[in-house]
Amino acid sequence: MDPSFLLQLLINGIVIGVIYALIAMGLSLIFGVLEIVNFAHGEFYMLGAMLAYYLSIGTTLGYWPTVAIVTAVALCLGFVLYEALLASLHGEGFERSILLTLGLSMVLQNGAVFLFTTTPKMIAGSLTYSNVVLGSVRVPVLRLYALGMGLAAFAALYLILNRTRIGKAMRGVAQNRDAALMVGINPHTVSRLAVAIGIGLSGLAGAVLAPVYAVDPMMGASFVFKAFAIIIIGGLGNISGAAIAAVALGVLESLMSAFLPLVLVDAFAFVAMIAILLFRPQGLFGRGVRV
Amino acid sequence: MARIHLQAIAAGAAFIVAAGTAMAQGAPIVIGSSIPLTGTVASFGQHSRWGAEMAIAEANAKGGVLGRKIEIDFQDNRCNPAEAVKSVTQMLAEKKYVAIHDGLCSSAALAIMPLVERAGIPFVVANASATSIAEKSGVGGNKWTFKVNPTDASLLDALIRHLHKDGKAGGIAFLGEDSDFGRAGSDGLTQALSKLNLKLASTDYFQKGAPDFTAVFTRIKAAKPQQLALYAVSADFQNAMRQWAQLGGGVPLTGRPLVDQVPAEIMASGLLDGTTAVQPYDPSVDTPGNKAFVAAFTARFNTAPILISFESYESTQILLDAIRRAGKTDPAAIRDALATTKFASILGSTVEFDQNNLAHNNAIILTIRGGKVVVLGMSKT
Repeated sequence: MDPSFLLQLLINGIVIGVIYALIAMGLSLIFGVLEIVNFAHGEFYMLGAMLAYYLSIGTTLGYWPTVAIVTAVALCLGFVLYEALLASLHGEGFERSILLTLGLSMVLQNGAVFLFTTTPKMIAGSLTYSNVVLGSVRVPVLRLYALGMGLAAFAALYLILNRTRIGKAMRGVAQNRDAALMVGINPHTVSRLAVAIGIGLSGLAGAVLAPVYAVDPMMGASFVFKAFAIIIIGGLGNISGAAIAAVALGVLESLMSAFLPLVLVDAFAFVAMIAILLFRPQGLFGRGVRV
Repeated sequence: MARIHLQAIAAGAAFIVAAGTAMAQGAPIVIGSSIPLTGTVASFGQHSRWGAEMAIAEANAKGGVLGRKIEIDFQDNRCNPAEAVKSVTQMLAEKKYVAIHDGLCSSAALAIMPLVERAGIPFVVANASATSIAEKSGVGGNKWTFKVNPTDASLLDALIRHLHKDGKAGGIAFLGEDSDFGRAGSDGLTQALSKLNLKLASTDYFQKGAPDFTAVFTRIKAAKPQQLALYAVSADFQNAMRQWAQLGGGVPLTGRPLVDQVPAEIMASGLLDGTTAVQPYDPSVDTPGNKAFVAAFTARFNTAPILISFESYESTQILLDAIRRAGKTDPAAIRDALATTKFASILGSTVEFDQNNLAHNNAIILTIRGGKVVVLGMSKT
């Protein structure tokens, strides 16, 4: 087999894996701190991409300011989401949280259909078709940007959770909410920030992937179901676990696609998820907010 | 006094009867349409809606049909057979619809067919292309389903005949969505190629809505096929085109790529030059009827028509023509009138249904040359 073919598949897989991780990390953080599965996570990713699209056609901001603005708006949306909907759950009512976020997902998706129509939107810029070419291996520049942003987001999250007081407080709330309250940690403040960061990450994913993929109101569903499988494989709430599982899945899917029908490759993540639920329900790297 | 009362009652009764008759004459004729208004191909549903609405607006501007206004109600089927069944069952239960229109997706149309057969309501398929719809209609069993657009099999037969003339029918790799639409594409190509003792070089299906094609494109390019037949629509098609361009293309496309929806910058780059496609429609077809349609549609909706809008527009006109010729809104009479349709298409041909209730409009063979779509010719399907 041609080594450049394998190298192309490997690079494709790493890039896709980091894209998966970018979406899965936010989902994992929210579950880790609040024990809420955010079914609307994909819609915040979609809204981030939609905002990036409209900023790209309506302003001359450029790539990096657009990414920064979209991420900031998503962080604010996270605060609003927590205060308006999730705070009332008080860490209880797992079923209520599922119904609530599922309902929110439908409202956001259909609202986006109404506001933006279902016509796919493409951001075209000077870098859209630029590639880094190494022999016969080609990597689009915008995917390399997404790769870089994914790695930067992971590093930032690592530093927040490991090196800051608020990060330690998040891990404390995730481990034992009552005990955290007893030592003076306000679970609401911590939860609000965790949701803001989680939604901010999904907005960041939307902004960096808007120039890579078609932007449309249904795009949230495409990655988020795989992200659910990833956080279960990596260990619910375990951010490092989610990141490692995401990259591993991306690479495995890409390499398998050289030999197997695509439909089987797509099923691999969910088969792995079922196997993990049966034989290692805590996930490959264990549950809890860890990095 | 009693006489005056009787006269007043008689006059009142006459007024009520007259008003009732007038209302019956003025009551609109209502058509039901089940199309994807949400979901991954909702943008196509929007074009189907526009096409049907335009045909109905034109008919109403000329006084309606049988002296009555035409209305159309749209129900969302999300391109999902279960949702299609739900939407059409609901419409049939209301008993106000004289016919069901479109379905749009092959899987949805196939799911609707048994329902209209049981209810005895005509079903005019505008866009779904699966060959099995026609195989099951007319002498195939379902007398109520009429398919206006050509089947994949007939379109691809025309394409392969054309490619074979130029010695390009061999070494075609297939990539299509995992649906009745995609499967009909690979089946149609396989059958057309088998007549020349040829086979597809490879066959791959992707899940609708899956945004990344880099891995499968890398594999297909490494296998070095002569051409790639692509069956993708909406956001899937846009993602596929962009990623194909980012990977440098290198293999001409064929089959039914939506050449009118290729991003302008990719088209202009010349990357897709050499593509040979077959479609039931292209906005650039040079007939007076099509030019007028494109101009009117663009003026009305601020966007050019696509294949879907054309097929919905013309199939709605065919349905309205059948109601007009039936002279009444009885479903059986409309069905019989549909069967004897002779409709002048804006593509220049006459649309008639065969024994499988399948119309045989022209297939348009297209190529991309110098970054522009060029119509190579039309071939009866």
